[in-house]
Amino acid sequence: MKLTIIGSGPGGYVAAIKAAQLGAQVTVIEESEVGGTCLNKGCIPTKALVASSEMLDKARKLQEFGIELEGKIFPNFAKITERKNKIINTQVKGIRGLFKSWGITLKEGRGVLLSPEEIEVTSRDGSKEKIKSDRVIIATGSRPSQIPAFPFDGKRIISSDEALDLTDIPKSLLIVGAGVIGCEFACIYKELGSDVTIVEMLPRAVATEDIEISELLERELKKKKIKLYTNVKVEKADIKDDGVHALLPDGKEVIAEKALVSIGRAFNSDGIGLEEIGINKGRRGEIIVNENMGTNVRGIYAVGDVIGGLLLAHVASKEGIIAAKNVVGGNEKIDYSVVPAAIFTSPEIASVGLREHQAAEKGIKIKTGHFQFRALGKAHVMGEITGIIKIVSDEITDRILGVHIIGPHASDIIHEASLAIRNGLKVKDISETIHAHPTLSEGLMEAAEDVYGEAIHVPKR
Amino acid sequence: MNPDNLKYHKEHTWVKVSGGKGTIGITDYAQDALGDIVYIDLPEIDMDVKTNSEVGEIESTKATSSIISPVSGRVVEVNEDLSESPEIINEDPYGKGWIAVLEMDDISELDDLMDASEYTKYIEEEIK
Repeated sequence: MKLTIIGSGPGGYVAAIKAAQLGAQVTVIEESEVGGTCLNKGCIPTKALVASSEMLDKARKLQEFGIELEGKIFPNFAKITERKNKIINTQVKGIRGLFKSWGITLKEGRGVLLSPEEIEVTSRDGSKEKIKSDRVIIATGSRPSQIPAFPFDGKRIISSDEALDLTDIPKSLLIVGAGVIGCEFACIYKELGSDVTIVEMLPRAVATEDIEISELLERELKKKKIKLYTNVKVEKADIKDDGVHALLPDGKEVIAEKALVSIGRAFNSDGIGLEEIGINKGRRGEIIVNENMGTNVRGIYAVGDVIGGLLLAHVASKEGIIAAKNVVGGNEKIDYSVVPAAIFTSPEIASVGLREHQAAEKGIKIKTGHFQFRALGKAHVMGEITGIIKIVSDEITDRILGVHIIGPHASDIIHEASLAIRNGLKVKDISETIHAHPTLSEGLMEAAEDVYGEAIHVPKR
Repeated sequence: MNPDNLKYHKEHTWVKVSGGKGTIGITDYAQDALGDIVYIDLPEIDMDVKTNSEVGEIESTKATSSIISPVSGRVVEVNEDLSESPEIINEDPYGKGWIAVLEMDDISELDDLMDASEYTKYIEEEIK
């Protein structure tokens, strides 16, 4: 079985390795660098910047921990960037090494489908090559979306791509869009020293999360002195000598050295031959697939951001595995019912399952349990007491429907909840499980206890 | 001690009235129960506040709690010093730790509040 995969992000490269493990002869076509957006322009580089900004925050709190420092603490942005790039390079080499070990051929260039069996690869030097295969997986990903009022110029008006590769820390930064990307960059650059303003069209920051999580994040942004305008659409933006002038509907003008537009992602589904071979696309250009990850054209599969839905690296990887198994004759179906998601703001956010308002919309009778990190000894030890853990459960069956966390290590704590929801576990299954002390995970146990008003470290109500 | 010239709300806030304006804050009992205060979410100028409703939020190392307004009115002044140094409330809840000044809607609301001796009794009951 000859398989060709276009794109080597977390959808494509994982599919490649899985298919090779299952005996397929795999070729991967990559126009840019292996690892895709996640490794080169997304998850990994942003987290490298988050790590540096968190280290800076910790360094600024040294005295609180009884450590004296002689001299000044300040970010060296060139070094921060260098560290980030080094991490990327290591990971890139890692994927290339895995490809080699599994006998996967990497073709560097742009792949265009000529027919369901044939792909033309144009390499950077312009030379062309045709590859024949039995099956194709399209994993071409996504890119930052633009808005007409804010066309990217890459210098003053930038996307997340450029925000990862600035040469200096901007004195002031306007961020359009308070979603995951906008809020992560807001926290990073504020810590590094930028004066940050966020403008969001929707009524709240990280609007896809539970409302209580948004409220708490908004307060934390306020504490950091990040200005957030919600329910506000930027009317227009002018680039002048002193920076970007953005006009808000009430006539107020925000002036910033740079403006980062983070309003969403557009799908990389143009110019790769999809129309010519008749692959169905949705209204926004996303490739339409069935639950086996197959497109309407036999033998062609698609995974990752380019199929829309949840634009998450770990979802892309799961889709890649499903597609790879089906390529070699399996009949695997994707299950999106339990997908954890993490946002690396400060503090971190993680969630899985139903939000409280979603449960209400579905007409499910629910109970909720809350627990504040500040009631945990471990949180005080770490000096990170802000945040909550919230459980949404079914009042009748006691099953856990959703868990929402904002606070230290939220992204690590969430997986106990994912496992519980995926296996239909009940609130009491968590509350009756002994959790090690002193840990942050105790908070999930206490939140479960709180569903029945029985948390030990919550005062009597 | 709880000063005699203030009126007290059962949610552990106080008001001091002078010329139609009421200065509000939280009581010594409240600050002591909360422990070290790390952040206060102050009301905004011109915000309309109703008695018994939230006028701000306070975070301590132990808990986050609503600040319940003892009176109704429009916020005309807030204690900006608290945004940088919320611990002032722990140090001086009835003085430098004031939270906001309201242009009061209805002076007669004061009749529903406790005086110092009533409040002192009230918290003694609560401790039991």
